[in-house]
Amino acid sequence: MALQLSPELRKKFESLKQRYPRQRSALIPMLLFAQDELGCVPDQLVDYLADDLDLRRMEVEEVISYYSMLRRRPAGRYHLQVCTNVSCLLRGGKQILDQVQRHCGVPPKTATDDGLFSYEEVECIGACTGAPAMQVNYDYYENLTPQSLNELLDQLQLGNTPSPTRQTTDFLKQQKPHSAEVRVVGRRFGLRNSAALTTYLKHDGYQGLEKALKEMTPEQILEEVKRSNLRGRGGAGFPAGMKWGFVPKDTDKPKYIIANADESEPGTCKDRALMEHDPHQLIEGLVIAARVVNAHQGYIYIRGEYRYVMEILDRAIAEAYERNYLGKNILGSGFDFDLCTHTGAGAYECGEESALMESLEGKRGYPRIRPPFPAVVGLYGCPTVINNVETLSSVPAIILKGGEWYADLGSERNGGTRLFCISGHVNRPGLYELPMGFPLRRMIEEVAGGMRDGKKCKAVIPGGSSVPVLTADQLDTPMDFDSVAKAGSMLGSGAVIVMDEDTCMVEVAQRIAQFYAHESCGWCIPCREGTAWLRKVLDRFHSGGGRTQDIPLLKELAQNMLGKTFCPLGDAAAMPIISFVDKFRHEFEEHLRTGECPFSRDAAAVATPL
Amino acid sequence: MSETQNSVQLTVDGRAIDVPSGTLLIEACKSTGHEVPSFCYYPGLSLQAACRMCLVEIEKTPKLQTACTVVVQPGMIVRTETPQVAEARKNMLEFLLTNHPLDCPVCDKGGECELQDMVFRYGAAESRFVEEKEHQPEQQFSPIVYFDYPRCILCFRCVRVCDEAMDVKALGIGQRGVRTLIIPNRPDGTLECEECGMCIDICPVGALTSHQYRYKTRPWEMNYVGTPCAHCGDGCKTTLNVRNNQILRGNNRDMTGINGEFLCIKGRYAGDFTHHPERLRQPLLRRNGQLQPASWEEALGFVAQHLKEITKRSGPRTVGFLGSNRTTNEENYLLARFARTVVGTNNLDHHRTADFAALAGALHGEPVRYAASGDLSRASAILLVGNDPTHNHPLLAWNIRSAVRQHGAHLYIINSRRIKLRRQARQLVEIPSGKEAAAIEALHGAPTDISAATQQELATLRAALEKESDVIVLFGAEVFGSAVSRLVEFSRQLPGVTRYIALGDYANSRGAADMGLLPDRLPGYASLKDALTRKKWEQVWGAALPSEPGLHAKQMLGGNQLRALYVIGSNPVRTFGLPQTREALGELELLVVHELFLTETARLADVVLPAASAYEKDGTFTNTCGEVQRLKRALDPGAVRTDFEIIRLLSYAWGTPLPLRSSEAAFEEIRQHVRGYRVSQAQLVAGQAVRCAPTSGHAAADTPPGLVFSADDSLFTSGTLGRYSAALNSVSERDLPRSRL
Repeated sequence: MALQLSPELRKKFESLKQRYPRQRSALIPMLLFAQDELGCVPDQLVDYLADDLDLRRMEVEEVISYYSMLRRRPAGRYHLQVCTNVSCLLRGGKQILDQVQRHCGVPPKTATDDGLFSYEEVECIGACTGAPAMQVNYDYYENLTPQSLNELLDQLQLGNTPSPTRQTTDFLKQQKPHSAEVRVVGRRFGLRNSAALTTYLKHDGYQGLEKALKEMTPEQILEEVKRSNLRGRGGAGFPAGMKWGFVPKDTDKPKYIIANADESEPGTCKDRALMEHDPHQLIEGLVIAARVVNAHQGYIYIRGEYRYVMEILDRAIAEAYERNYLGKNILGSGFDFDLCTHTGAGAYECGEESALMESLEGKRGYPRIRPPFPAVVGLYGCPTVINNVETLSSVPAIILKGGEWYADLGSERNGGTRLFCISGHVNRPGLYELPMGFPLRRMIEEVAGGMRDGKKCKAVIPGGSSVPVLTADQLDTPMDFDSVAKAGSMLGSGAVIVMDEDTCMVEVAQRIAQFYAHESCGWCIPCREGTAWLRKVLDRFHSGGGRTQDIPLLKELAQNMLGKTFCPLGDAAAMPIISFVDKFRHEFEEHLRTGECPFSRDAAAVATPL
Repeated sequence: MSETQNSVQLTVDGRAIDVPSGTLLIEACKSTGHEVPSFCYYPGLSLQAACRMCLVEIEKTPKLQTACTVVVQPGMIVRTETPQVAEARKNMLEFLLTNHPLDCPVCDKGGECELQDMVFRYGAAESRFVEEKEHQPEQQFSPIVYFDYPRCILCFRCVRVCDEAMDVKALGIGQRGVRTLIIPNRPDGTLECEECGMCIDICPVGALTSHQYRYKTRPWEMNYVGTPCAHCGDGCKTTLNVRNNQILRGNNRDMTGINGEFLCIKGRYAGDFTHHPERLRQPLLRRNGQLQPASWEEALGFVAQHLKEITKRSGPRTVGFLGSNRTTNEENYLLARFARTVVGTNNLDHHRTADFAALAGALHGEPVRYAASGDLSRASAILLVGNDPTHNHPLLAWNIRSAVRQHGAHLYIINSRRIKLRRQARQLVEIPSGKEAAAIEALHGAPTDISAATQQELATLRAALEKESDVIVLFGAEVFGSAVSRLVEFSRQLPGVTRYIALGDYANSRGAADMGLLPDRLPGYASLKDALTRKKWEQVWGAALPSEPGLHAKQMLGGNQLRALYVIGSNPVRTFGLPQTREALGELELLVVHELFLTETARLADVVLPAASAYEKDGTFTNTCGEVQRLKRALDPGAVRTDFEIIRLLSYAWGTPLPLRSSEAAFEEIRQHVRGYRVSQAQLVAGQAVRCAPTSGHAAADTPPGLVFSADDSLFTSGTLGRYSAALNSVSERDLPRSRL
């Protein structure tokens, strides 16, 4: 069977190949776009791409099998991807998965006989404040209930595709900001057509860039950002200004700037909203950052699941080119900068900056040996600045209103505001922009409307699933990097996952372990084997097969991983497990005592195979 | 010790050491005798830092660091034996063993397994893992390679050696996380590759095993004999793993040969021809038109009687000898001496696969201009004219790739085919087939009949070469006769010292030429026409030498001038493309063949004498670069005899016994009298490859066309021997076009 590609796809291929200094970079987008058209990646496509990009067949195969969105066998016309990660788990994600499973009646990733449906359990899709959620192909359906799911499936069965429901981001349009909120990066969220350039320009858009290009030297911009105390919003909280300062000035090599839009830390959905509602703010931030380090090419590496967001970004980029906010001689300043989006294809590990660069070069997303760090040897071996979307989106306001103004919004050494993604058992899950240092208790009780059904809060994950859990008696912690660290956890990505008294902490730990086992890239031994081992022990433990010695074993295994893995993913898997065992040991013991999950009526159904 | 600019002083486990700057900590530790364990670190391959076995403590660094990625820094204080380090190693091994099947009692690797050794040294006695292990059934990737998924520890050595060192990338990494596995490149789950077996050899555990060896024996039940490979002209050392007088596999884990750890499929698995069922085990004598078994006494008596009779009746000029590309130097020397002194003929030749004589002539007086195989991997610039080293010279191709990969060497290629080494080349000039000599003329700037575009490319190539220095020039059989001298004339004016390698096909192609299996040359390329030289050899051999050059191979085979033809270890009927009839060889009264198998030529013979293979005898081989190596007998030849013995016995039966009683005695005579062969016996005995450099001192006479040609064996063929290797015949790549590789 000969490979049939539409003329549009071939055109797309050609344009993708133009985007990068090395054609291989186009491989993953080409695979994904071709899969969208062909339903999967057939052998002929592997051969075609290997030939087209001058790669060996194996290099294409290796890439395909790494990324979870790419598949070699066709899925159904509607591929139902149900998230059961922590935020969704807390709000009925498993029941949604059960319902989908029953509806399809086939094994995961297998099309039904009529070819209409297939399904799989997926990891966090960035719909945490709209949980439980699933994606049908690229469309989001959030806040699902058994009834709404039934209706959706009925419609799909009839061949209708209902409009997506994007509770996570629509929420920002519908709700007025909470009185405690201080909207900086989110100040255009409620506006009509907030993503449009015209809207952006009416509301301070590109004024920071004009100021930066016309009134400031790159050194002055850098100083301003340093003054702002802006710290990386991806999770590590590294000062952005300092990171930019590491880029060597005297080099013949081209420099690159990358927006890390591979948002995948469970519980985190802020970058999705920032790009959907205010794409120009990110573009403006990128151009300013590029100016500082004198980079002339930028990429927005966006996770593959966020396809509609990428389309919004692509439109915004085209608008920005039309108005010369991108391209040659921007605003007459003599500064050139080109920007394009780049889609991932399903891999949490690619949020790690060096793995992201490998992925952007068209390879498996394995992290790189460091040093050298990306600021010196990054994309294509060249100096590269890479920042999270929220970090870069904060830059225009900092330039426009001053670093000091921004710093003063937050707490000491923690400048500005932060988009917190409050999910789980609260009355009003949502994205809220709050000053750094805002107390956790107020966040839950005031901003998010308090605990659902008047239940008590048992625990909070303050910064995405990779950080140690906090207990109810730690709710007075101010939410900034340093205070949360003092409380023994991390502010991470700003994903605040709130759990009530009925939550089984063993189950949450199990789900977290399942996630890291699924996302471990497999490069180094302690992470590859450790995440899988933790997951297996917790699966068994939660489903009633626990042994007394498993409790210390879990902790020791996690400690044996800690600090010894190639990249931080091993730590990310180990830290929460250690904290769950330490802080909720009694719940583990309770499981042992009763031989089943004390919180679940159907404990055995919890552990679903990967 | 003082710290110089190029050395760094650091402390490892309390001991101050000095190592060159840029050294990796793991190597620095090794140099002090503190072995830091590792699976994924492998010298020469890219760094992985994946196995985490080499974690060590470095003072002032909070976390343990991988010694394989840290470059030594002055004043660094390193501890490799602290409780924390020991604990980390133990933990890593515990993780590794979780999904390992622990099937050591039946695993091929048992007894030579790095994982076993590490667990023995650093591991915990018991496992805490009670979960179900990841499992997948074992897969046969190819007729050579098996993959046992559960045993794999994912060190990715195989993937890297296949990609980086072999430039094949037939193995890759599939899936991720704990499901990560090694995958082969064909969609049906099989391999399409060079079947070199490097992946198997480099595997620290029993995940990759060979069909030839698996489940046959235990490592401690075998004898290990290191000897030069019997196949191509590169002279790799292969350590034959022998049990019950049968070669089970070859490898070179001790890395002592010129090839380091490299071997191709032939060196590893194609020793199996020695026990092929069709192997000749007793002499055959034609009776009533049929070849029938005979005793050695009978067969040799028959040969001596008839050969002598024909020589007497029709004259020595009607007797011809065709020697072999795979017999030892001593055998070739003995044959030359027998033919010239006992029979008294110069009708002596062999299938010439490179024009070594022309090179020796062109290099007169400058023995240093021969490059050794190892020189290639350190070369800064290489010019390759003709040949396809990937297929014809796998070791030299490996060395060329490693020069390019590790030292940024510049490779220039002039070839009529788009050979695989083009991937490493800085410039490839494609020329029409047969235009190699013209291309060399074009390099000189002389007018030629090749296209203007190609001439332009050659001019560019020339300009690039003129900027290089110490170029190594390799040329195949396409370049012969005066073209060799023209190539040398061109390249000797390049900056630095240009050195050369003529690329001949088989294990002792070079030795055959060096020992004078040529109608117009005595051993060491001494010219027959030169009376002084002739006199020297007459003294050495104690007999008069015919002064008139003899017939060359083509004349012997097609000219109907011979009445007796004596063929040793070669198959001219096939090689020279003759019809498979006795008549095609002229009106021969006697055809004698020494062979391992009943080849097309042997089928036509009156007497076939079963000969021992290179693995069943002593002696020396000279590889295509001129490196002499000693053979070590790995197998008991049983009833067959070495060619040396046969010739010697024949001289007895003839009535003019040759005085050289043993291969050692013959080699001593070679050392004494063959120019360039005065090599160190001690080094040879120690198993080293010793360079020899015969130079004739006479410009080469032009070699007629049709005499020098390569059999152009692929990686999966090897002349007669290859036809009887089950391993070589089993691989599917054999039938693929070469351009696929």
